[in-house]
This record gives sequence, C-alpha cells and structure tokens, in this order.
Amino acid sequence: MTPNLAAITGIGSVSPYGPLAGLIPPCAVEPEAITAWPTSGLRRAFLVKPFRPASVVPGLKTRRLDRLSAWALVASSLAIQDAGIDLSQEDRSRVAVVFGTGLGCAELTEAFFHSAAAHGWSGTDPSPFPEGLANAPASHVALWHEVRGPNITVGCKTFSGESALIQAASLLRHGQADLAIVLAGDTLTRAVYEWYEAAGLLSPACYNSEPVTDGSGFVPSEGVAALVLEPNGRRKVRAYAHFSSGRWSVDGEAVETIRQMLGSSVPNVTICAGNGAPCATSSTSALAGKISGTSAGMVRAPAAAGLTDTSALLHLILALSSQPPSGQALLLGTSGENGFAALLLDLP
Amino acid sequence: MTDSRKTIVVTGIGVVSPYGIGVDCLQAGMLSGKCCLAPTKDLYPGFVGSTAQVSGLPPLQNEFGPRYSRSDRLAMVAARDAVWNLDYESTALRGSGVFMASTVAGLSEIDPGIAEDPAAWYRRGGLARAASYPPARVADAVGEYLGVRGPRCAISAACASSAAAIALAANMLLDGAASMVLAGGSDALCPFTLSGFNSLQALDPDPCRPFDRNRKGLNLGEGAAVLVLETLERAEARNANVLAVLRGWAMTNDAFHSTAPHTQGKGLADCMRLAMEMAEVSGDDIGYVNAHGTGTSLNDVAETNAYETVFHERKRPVPVSSTKSYFGHCLGAAGALEAIIAIIAVRCGVLLPTLRLTDPIESPSADWLRGKVLCHEVPLAMSVSAGFGGSNAALIFGNGQCRSGRS
Repeated sequence: MTPNLAAITGIGSVSPYGPLAGLIPPCAVEPEAITAWPTSGLRRAFLVKPFRPASVVPGLKTRRLDRLSAWALVASSLAIQDAGIDLSQEDRSRVAVVFGTGLGCAELTEAFFHSAAAHGWSGTDPSPFPEGLANAPASHVALWHEVRGPNITVGCKTFSGESALIQAASLLRHGQADLAIVLAGDTLTRAVYEWYEAAGLLSPACYNSEPVTDGSGFVPSEGVAALVLEPNGRRKVRAYAHFSSGRWSVDGEAVETIRQMLGSSVPNVTICAGNGAPCATSSTSALAGKISGTSAGMVRAPAAAGLTDTSALLHLILALSSQPPSGQALLLGTSGENGFAALLLDLP
Repeated sequence: MTDSRKTIVVTGIGVVSPYGIGVDCLQAGMLSGKCCLAPTKDLYPGFVGSTAQVSGLPPLQNEFGPRYSRSDRLAMVAARDAVWNLDYESTALRGSGVFMASTVAGLSEIDPGIAEDPAAWYRRGGLARAASYPPARVADAVGEYLGVRGPRCAISAACASSAAAIALAANMLLDGAASMVLAGGSDALCPFTLSGFNSLQALDPDPCRPFDRNRKGLNLGEGAAVLVLETLERAEARNANVLAVLRGWAMTNDAFHSTAPHTQGKGLADCMRLAMEMAEVSGDDIGYVNAHGTGTSLNDVAETNAYETVFHERKRPVPVSSTKSYFGHCLGAAGALEAIIAIIAVRCGVLLPTLRLTDPIESPSADWLRGKVLCHEVPLAMSVSAGFGGSNAALIFGNGQCRSGRS
C-alpha cells in the first residue's frame, strides 16, 4: 500500500462553470460563440463568462493584470476559503504556491506584441511586460495572500496540471512547505485559438452548433483550477481526496512506470484526465485497460469541460464532483504515442 | 554518516556562454578577465546598448517536429556538453528527467505581426515558429535531442528560474521519480526582452557595474547551462566522476511587490538561511557567494541588506561577487550559469572578482571581490538568484567529499 502523502482539503475554480468554491454542482455547459475578436463565421469554445473578480473576492484589484493572474487570484481565494483556512493563523513563510500553465499570460504577451506593432520595439508600453511573464499569476497569488514559501510555475506538454500537483506534494514531503496552493490554468486568446485552428486541431463542434463528440479534434477551454494541499493529519478536516504518488513522462514506458508506482495498490476507479491531446479519452481507456484490466470503473473527462494543457485539475474536480466510489483512484492522462501522467489518489 | 540515497551530486556540466561552448571555455575566459559585454545596435532598430551574445551556435535542424528556437538550440548544445561522457543508449540517460528554465523560450521566433492578424501570420510560416513558443518546449527539445524519456518540465520563476529548476530536480531525485535529471536553463537574446527591459528603463547602456554606487542598470546576455544531477548512490553505482555535491537548496518569495524586491532583502535572506539549514552549515562555513548582482538600483541594495542579515555574525565578511559583470544577465539561464561558477569555486579554488566595481556599496558583512582573482580552497559556495514576482532561490555546493545526507 502506498502511503498517503497529502490531503486535498480545499477546491476553487474559475471555469466555464463560473467561479466556484468546492465541488462543481451538476450542470451542463455548452461551447459558446467567440465574440472577443473578429472571426470568419461561427467559432466556439468553452469560455469563462466575464465577471468582476472583486465581486467574488472583495478588495481584489485586477485591472492591469492578465486574466490568468486575475483568475488565479480568485480560484486560490475560493480554495483557501473552501479549506476553512485562516492564513493569518498560519506561518505564511511555509505556504507554497505551485502553478501549472501551458502558455502562461498569453493575453498580455500579445498586448506587448501589439504595442511593438504599433510603436516599434523602441516604443513599447512597459506595463504588459512584467505582467506577461509566465510566473506572474503565482507571484500575484503570493502577494495577495502574503505567502512567502516556494513560488514555482511549471509547464509540461499536456501535463502541466499533474506536474504542478506532483511537485507541490514533493515540497510537502521534503518539509519545504507546510501547505501548498496548487493551481493550473490557461486563457484562450485570439492568437492561441487561431493557432489551434491553423494546426487543424479543432473539433467540428467549434464551427457549428453540433454537440461535442469525442475523437474528432478538441474544443478548447480556459480557466484556472486551484487545490489546497496539506500533509495528512495536519488538521482535522474533511479531505476530498488524498494524494499518494504521481509520475509523468512525455515519452516514457507508461505501463511499466505506472505499475511500479502503484506497487501493490489496485485502483478501483480510473479518472480520465483528458489533457490537451485530442482524442485522449480513447487512448487513456486503452492504457487504463493495460494497467488495471477491465475491473476498474472509468470516470470519463466530461467533454463539456473542454481541453487545455492544464485541464487535468479541473477534470479531477469534476470527477470528485460526480461522487465516484470510495477507494483508490488513478488519475490518468495520455498524450501522443508514449506520453502519460498518472496520479494515485485515495477517495474517502 | 553519508546517506548516498539522499545526497544529490553533480556529475556533468554543460555550458554555452558568450565565451563559447564548454565549462573550460567559460572558466578560461573569466580567469583572463575578458568582458563579453559589447555595444550592440542590430537587435532591433533604435536599440543602443551593451549585450553579450553567443556566436557560432550550430543550426540543429529538427527533422521530426517543430522548428527549434534559439533558446532550444542553446539548451540542446549545453545539454549535449553536459552528457558528453555518457553513452546515449545507457538506461541511466534514457530514463533521465529534463527540468529546464526559460523566460524567453520561443518568443524569439515570434514577431509583432502575430498581434495584428494571427491567422495570416501563421499562413506566412508562423505556424512552425509558434510551435516553439510554449515554455515547456525547451525541455522537450533537449529530451528529443538526447533521446531522454523521463519526466520533462519547464520552470518559471523569472530570473531565479534555473536555480529553481535545479532545486526542483533535486526534490524529484529524492522522490525517485527519475534516475538522473538534466537541470538548468536557457535564454536567447531577442527584441521582446530587450525592448521590455528597455521600456522599464532597467538597462545600463554601458557595461554594468553590480554593487557599485554608480551602477546604472543591467545588461542582457544569452546562454544556457545544464547540470547532470543524480543521487550519490546512482553515481557510485556507475562509477561516475562527482564534480560537486548539492548540499542545500531553498526557494522563497518576497510577497512584497510584482517587480521590486523587498527593500531589506527579507525573502532572499530567508532563502539563504533555509539553504544553510538544509546543508547543516553556518554562515561561517560559506566560502564564496555568487551573487544575483544585476547592477540595478533596487536589486543590489536589497541583496546587500540580505547579506547583512544572514552573515552579520560571521567572524569575517563573506566573499561575494557578481559574475553578471562578465556576460550580463542571462535571465532564465542565469541561475544555472552562476551555479556552475560556484562549482568552479569549490572545485578549483578560484574566486572571480566583480568587474568595474570601483566604489562598492558599503556593507560590513560582504567582502566585495574586485580587482584580482583570489585562489584558495573553498569548501562551500552559495549561488543566489532572485527575480520579478519576488522569486528567490539559493543553492549551496560543496566539493566531492560528502559529509552528510538529509534525513
């Protein structure tokens, strides 16, 4: 049996389901027509509906920030609230922030390019430059919550969310933090969407009002998911799940590595992480079959959640929201021919 | 008693710097006192300043996937240099992880045309260029190039990124997530970052003067540095040459301001203390500090205050220098490059001075190295990094004699 390392005690998210603390109530979401930039015909994606961050987290000022930073601030605040943590009672130098992102602050990076296009490189606007750095969201989370522990932003092709969770757990395991705020997210901008389109990655459902189906491209999404992770037994509170161990690789021996990680553990549930890869669900099912046979139940990544490199944490929240059976769960994602990420969790 | 499973050692070093390819080139160039910072005018119209550029980088075409950015190519050459003595087909290398930092990554491949009409820009050949944009691409490029198949990750902590990459790689090794990790950073000079720092009025048009009262800002450089990290147990099992021991590491955040450091350097001081706690050493044991030392007004004062906090009880001031005075600030590569200079200090007993430091900031606890190279034994050296967003990282290296592992 793999020992439980850390408990997930708080959840927050800013997603197409809205800004929410805790689990996400059952609700259908559909792709929406993109209106933020001119498109040649209908273009759809799972979008975060505009909202005022200060209406969710009083006092929050986000006017000059990338939406990714603003959402990270809201999601982290909701997760901390959900965990019932009063940070004024914590040693803030022992609170870590680990943020996973595939593309970082794309919105303000594009704004800086706009500025260069308009005024030349010699006349760029300084304000988007530092706010466009990939680590800006994690830094703002530290600044807002006044937490001074390790502050790290990680990016990993299709597995940024899983990698963030694994590395946050590692900081706790090695005594480098007592508490970790783990986040993962991306924003959808015109340059990002049109890149997916030019690469031929989008689902037909992006171009018409048909329902989203698996296996024919993907429908992009955006948002930030946040978890509060703390060592087991640190507080007597309910835990949504306990994290035991995790592995990822973009080109590894998936079955062998995951079996090694599981040891004698036999997960009874496989949660499909979805990730950024189109058609990921079928390849994940195939890998799950090789590892657990057909005995484990499968919680599929809801298509309605959309996909990005960082959607695994949102999919985990959605899976937990669907009230899966208690026992051991394997959160599994695949990418390309040999890429995989696997997290072993205990569900209460 | 050394616990070889919990002792992290450095068994390979790879560098691409404005001095050329390889650590010998870097060491010889710096020992000669050569400054690589030179007037630059061609990076974009209207830019006038000093930068340090890498010349003679091999083209390295990608036959299998996206185009390689300049940051990718710098990283690939440095990684190849780091593993030159390893069999590429060996299980140890194939199972390795790759933790690479970059702040620029593929931004060097993108031009302002993307902002006006992305679809048209992609049709004009931008699609392949944009594929190198995600920060994770640098680690993937290294992994693909060397056939390394373990976990890959990009680390972003602004200018502390590659020091953080080394720290996180050490954590992963302790977790048993990989047999070996190639950890470091890579950043290319490009108009985006030059223009950004220029717009913030952070650049000194002349070669920078870290820790000098008359400092006027930083210079940007480019390069890549990669360390091969593994546990001592693994290194001994394959009879590897241990170049240094990573005795302690720590990461903190100032939580003070989005771009300015804490005025008293509190977060940086905490970071140094935590690294020393992990290494089980005191301030008196540190023989050399390779400073972050950018040459900006705010950084150098904050950093000096941090040294005062951490080292004020020392019997003698701690020797400190900023090697950014030789080749500028290499951003995402800086922490790893400077870690290598700290390793040179413990391996070879050479302490490099800060160039152009004629009127240093007053600091009772720092012995600002200037003028000439010092040669004496240095059992432990610390490399200190900081960055936008309040990120801090500290790494402590010892020579190959392992004294204790962590419990």
